[in-house]
Amino acid sequence: MARWQSQENPLPFLFLVGLAGWFVPGGGYLLLKETGRALIIFVTIALTFCLGLYIGSIGTIDPIGARPWYFAQIMNSPLVAIIGHFTARGGYPAYARPNEMGQIYTSTAGLLNLLCIVNSVYLAYLRKTKSTRLGEGPM
Amino acid sequence: MFEFAALVMADFTAPKEIGTNPQSLLLLLPVVAAIAVVYKATKLPSISAGNFLKESVVLFCSIVVFMVITALALSGVAWLVTE
Repeated sequence: MARWQSQENPLPFLFLVGLAGWFVPGGGYLLLKETGRALIIFVTIALTFCLGLYIGSIGTIDPIGARPWYFAQIMNSPLVAIIGHFTARGGYPAYARPNEMGQIYTSTAGLLNLLCIVNSVYLAYLRKTKSTRLGEGPM
Repeated sequence: MFEFAALVMADFTAPKEIGTNPQSLLLLLPVVAAIAVVYKATKLPSISAGNFLKESVVLFCSIVVFMVITALALSGVAWLVTE
């Protein structure tokens, strides 16, 4: 019960942490002053996403023809929607193996970022409720 | 500078050539590495270079070994079915 006896409402801060983590991979951890963790996450997710785009081209982000993949890809950052805006017109076709590999890379990066968002929000929640046991995230 | 940036961006507008050969399975490794690094970055209580690297490498190797074992088992089943 002691967890719920926080002085202030933690929801706005948790929302901010989640939003920061979505806009920039690792951004949520940066707000929690976990600079090393944020840097590792940013570099790894950005590299995986860019490698996916390099292999399959920006055509792998297809909000019309590959909608389920797009939902995973947009978890990288809302900026993915800008790429989706250009590719939705069909100007950058990607087929077969390169397209599959690109989708796997970019979607994996997005799902990893979703994991980081959930974990950073949980960490922020623990800190706000004065339980600062770091690393005890949702499994 | 502008030409260089345009050249880099142009690289992202056309898919690369990937065959369906056994070597293309090596493209699995960067994804596994990314999963191992990000997972350990979220789970370790404190990040220190040595410990983080060790934990990530152990997880990376565990995933790869498990996938190799799974592939061998599936190949064995396929061989039994087709022979």
